[in-house]
Amino acid sequence: MNGNNPSANTAMPVPLQAVLAPVGRVAHTVAVHAGEIAILLWKVGRAYTEFRVSVREIARQVYIIGVQSIPIVIVTAGLAGIVTSQQGGYQFTGSIPLYVMGSVVTQSIVLEMGPVLTAIVLVGRVGARITAELGTMKVSEQIDALYSVGRDPIEMLAAPRILAGIIALPLLVGIANLFGILAGMYTAELTMGLGQESFFYGARLFWHSWDLLYSLLKGVAFGFVIPTIAIHMGLRTGGGAAGVGLQTTQSVMFMTLTILIVDAMFPPLFL
Amino acid sequence: MIEYKGVYKAFDEPVLSGVDLRVESGEMFALFGPSGTGKSVLLKTTLALIVPDRGDVCIDNQSVHFGGRGTLARIREKVGYVFQYAALFDSLNVFENIRMGLPEATLKRMTEKEVAHKAWEALELVNLEPRMILSKLPAELSGGMKKRVGIARAIVGRPEILLWDEPTTGLDPVNTAAVERLITQLSEELQVTSLLVTHDVEGGLEMCDRVAMLEGGRLRFCGTPEEFKNSDDPVVQAFENRAAAYAAIDVLDVR
Repeated sequence: MNGNNPSANTAMPVPLQAVLAPVGRVAHTVAVHAGEIAILLWKVGRAYTEFRVSVREIARQVYIIGVQSIPIVIVTAGLAGIVTSQQGGYQFTGSIPLYVMGSVVTQSIVLEMGPVLTAIVLVGRVGARITAELGTMKVSEQIDALYSVGRDPIEMLAAPRILAGIIALPLLVGIANLFGILAGMYTAELTMGLGQESFFYGARLFWHSWDLLYSLLKGVAFGFVIPTIAIHMGLRTGGGAAGVGLQTTQSVMFMTLTILIVDAMFPPLFL
Repeated sequence: MIEYKGVYKAFDEPVLSGVDLRVESGEMFALFGPSGTGKSVLLKTTLALIVPDRGDVCIDNQSVHFGGRGTLARIREKVGYVFQYAALFDSLNVFENIRMGLPEATLKRMTEKEVAHKAWEALELVNLEPRMILSKLPAELSGGMKKRVGIARAIVGRPEILLWDEPTTGLDPVNTAAVERLITQLSEELQVTSLLVTHDVEGGLEMCDRVAMLEGGRLRFCGTPEEFKNSDDPVVQAFENRAAAYAAIDVLDVR
């Protein structure tokens, strides 16, 4: 009977279809987002090259993204330093020389925890805010209103935020590194009696000057990723207040995931 | 003159299925239709706020969608758009909102005093007291006031064309009547071409030179208010009767 029905031979088996359909949907979603982000970045690039981005607005965004985030970044990095130092002390005491703690804390903070934790903090503090702000502007037709009065939201809202992110994040990472290491050092001194000189001796032992640049480079990458995704998600918001909430949640998820993926790509590319 | 040429737009389903419409210079034109028939979508294609899948819109014979960035910028300078819920910029005060209505090139040529004078003038045209309101944020204004500030922003650059997207939606009948008077007054004073998208059939028929009705993404009727009232098209009649019934309920609510 099947031989008489041409579709019977070409039809996909149901279990295979059930597996491939979600894969196809995800691939389609990723392609749509990637395409839209590429268009956004092309427009942003054009705004920079045509000098149509307000320097005052960039400075204002650096203040909002960077300066206003300093306290939370210091607290987060400090706690990361304290935890790393205590964990290291617990694992190393009695097994290897304690001055190695200097290297463990410094390398953990500079190579990994400083940039990544700063980025994660900024996803919540800055990224979510940008998505919610632009999303609200989108659903209340303020973005359309900007276009209608001859202003380009990409030039006014997107371009300054992305550049500000690229400027502010490496600076915040630098601050996070400094306070993380200091917190780790004082914790090692208080809990294990490791002197500051021994701590720095250990830190210098495995230090490469490239490490700091690597850390700041991560800051630049995250500073680009966070506002770009936040703006992209904000500008494609629809569906009123509920839509803004949903889009902000998804934006936080995408930003966090992208940061972790970019972070995982760094060692094979740069170390 | 605004000319819609075979404008087709689909989101998941077709919203506009090839709309051809011409609004003459100096004309006051109302576009009616049940909710979801694509009235606002059509209006938004006029300034490329929504890009049609097929077709084009021409303003004074210049293509909105195929004319390039320069043409679109020039078109946007001569068109004022009044949004359904005003769409005032939350973070800017009333003065800054109205200032945004002036083209960037014009702003560069003007002193701050001249800009303030223009904003003052625009607020007076919409019957608001500038001294009381200029420094207020949109959140501090009532619905009716927001709408008027939105109108002030649209007219401050002295546009040749005004697009009104449901200007009376969400207003009580007293404010509705006031805004309708304002639309007529401004259209006459500024001698603009007005395209009005509205649910308020009674008001639209009273104010406009010509009216059209969209139904299912297509133009169902286009003619004078008299022709609309006397139309023997059952769909037009049903829509008019339903609109009249809603208007009566509004009046009863006020009493």
